Amino acid sequence: MREDEKISTLTERVLSRFKGREIDPKEVSRRLKLLIYEFKVPEEEAVRTVTNYLRKEFDVTEVAESPIKTISELTKAGEWVSVKAKVMQLWDAESPNLSQVGLAGDSTGIIKFVIWAKSMKPEVREGRSYLFKNVVTDSFRGRMQINVNRNSDIIELDEDVNLPPREIELIGALVAIQQNSGFIQRCSLCNRVLKKGVCAVHGKVEGYDDLRIKGVVDDGANCYEVILNQENIKTLTGIGIEEARRIASEKLDREFVLAELKKRLLGYYFKIYGSKGSRYFLVKDIEFLSADIVGEAERILSEIDELRAKEEI
Amino acid sequence: MDILKREVAKRVFAYELSKSNYETSEGGERAPKYILTPTGEKCNRIFMVGVLLEKEEVSPDSNFWRIRISDPTGVVSGFVGRYQPEALESLLEIEPPEIVSIVAKLNLFQGETRSFLSIRPEAINISDRKNRDSWVIETAKRTLERIKNLKDGGKNAEGDLREDVKLALDVYSTDPAEYLEVVKKAVEAVREEAEAFRKSRADVKPTEIAESEVEGEAVEAVEDQTDVDRETEDVTLDTFEVDELEFEFEEEEWDLTDILDEE
Repeated sequence: MREDEKISTLTERVLSRFKGREIDPKEVSRRLKLLIYEFKVPEEEAVRTVTNYLRKEFDVTEVAESPIKTISELTKAGEWVSVKAKVMQLWDAESPNLSQVGLAGDSTGIIKFVIWAKSMKPEVREGRSYLFKNVVTDSFRGRMQINVNRNSDIIELDEDVNLPPREIELIGALVAIQQNSGFIQRCSLCNRVLKKGVCAVHGKVEGYDDLRIKGVVDDGANCYEVILNQENIKTLTGIGIEEARRIASEKLDREFVLAELKKRLLGYYFKIYGSKGSRYFLVKDIEFLSADIVGEAERILSEIDELRAKEEI
Repeated sequence: MDILKREVAKRVFAYELSKSNYETSEGGERAPKYILTPTGEKCNRIFMVGVLLEKEEVSPDSNFWRIRISDPTGVVSGFVGRYQPEALESLLEIEPPEIVSIVAKLNLFQGETRSFLSIRPEAINISDRKNRDSWVIETAKRTLERIKNLKDGGKNAEGDLREDVKLALDVYSTDPAEYLEVVKKAVEAVREEAEAFRKSRADVKPTEIAESEVEGEAVEAVEDQTDVDRETEDVTLDTFEVDELEFEFEEEEWDLTDILDEE
């Protein structure tokens, strides 16, 4: 029964790309079954093979376009969709199989996108808006993402896609700083973070210095991954690239910069402005929290008095 | 699917933590474990800013340290060893007493007659008074919310909290008034201190303020004066010593080798 369900879902997926053509679903299912269960071909490959077969058979050069959806509508993995979104943040593509990884947003939300190296797509840039055409939704560690593959297109838009309506304020403590933070070096060709001077794609290259912190901000109810850039770090700690270079050369160790940044930032409360995703918080501005302690304390004490008064009634 | 999602660090006062002795889990053997506190918070991880009162190596050169952390409501104990390299490295550089921030997992050691909650820090960092005050205020707010849920018997609008609250009431027969008093005590402690700071600032001669303002905001400059800081810390420490008596667990009764084995 489960096998049948899987096959019928995959059949629908194949057929969704050939709308308006008369294709026998049974024939599609038969071919998928044969590939997946007889020949043990991975599902994705089976779908691709059957799709290619049908494309040749019907002489279709352009497959039907996937429907345009908003990010909040992307809730199921394995759907072909098109999304108009703005690239908000680019991350390090840590594997050479990846071309680019980052966050894209529209007015309904923020989603992670993955552009596979094999897809051979031109690089996207932060702050630009694109139509991610014929991309596949996927669920990775319980979160939705979109994958850009060979059959996808990335088309730059003239319009500016609006991001989630307003920026919000997050107050929380920085509870973790990841190891690959601090005074890092990036590949001058692709901006990936170098590991021991080696880029995952370009090998041993000349790098350039950068400062960044990948961390977790926690408000006691939720936690969010944040990235602080050079500018944020300089504002908070006074340590910029020059100061970092000085510390590193004085101590003969770049890691000392991270140790120093941890001392100044880890475990402190911050007030952050930016956009919130389900798991990520995009930092626009960040400052140390400076709460009105006496005022807050008095508000809490009077609430306690009220609660007690109510109990007595 | 959400198993790999990071656990939120809960805000719970030391008093409440030291009363917590109920462990719960959501499913299989490998599912994360949570400590249910008397006001119904489920914690796998906590965040606190308090005073590191003591650090003591369990046995010479073991690199296994026992620490005691205090907030205005009480004390919790913890252990830091080589499996927490980041915390261990920081701890070795810190001399108590010192205000520290701590991110920790919780361990419940269950003995025959009593159980003992301790914390296992993942990160420790020297902190400051301002940050500590922010933590007390935030923790007070969170605790107050939980107390309100208790008073409603777990019948609040946010459905997902209900079971934990009900379970906490069943397990601990929690008295909301007791925890209301704990919150009050904590908040009063930071308020008095903050007011004392205002006063000490007013006592500083105008010329001194003018000088310190060169460096930035007058308030911040005064706060940074370490001797003022020390004075206030001493006041706090006195309170802490009283608090220690309230901490019911008697360490002498505990055989540390058991703890080491369980690690």
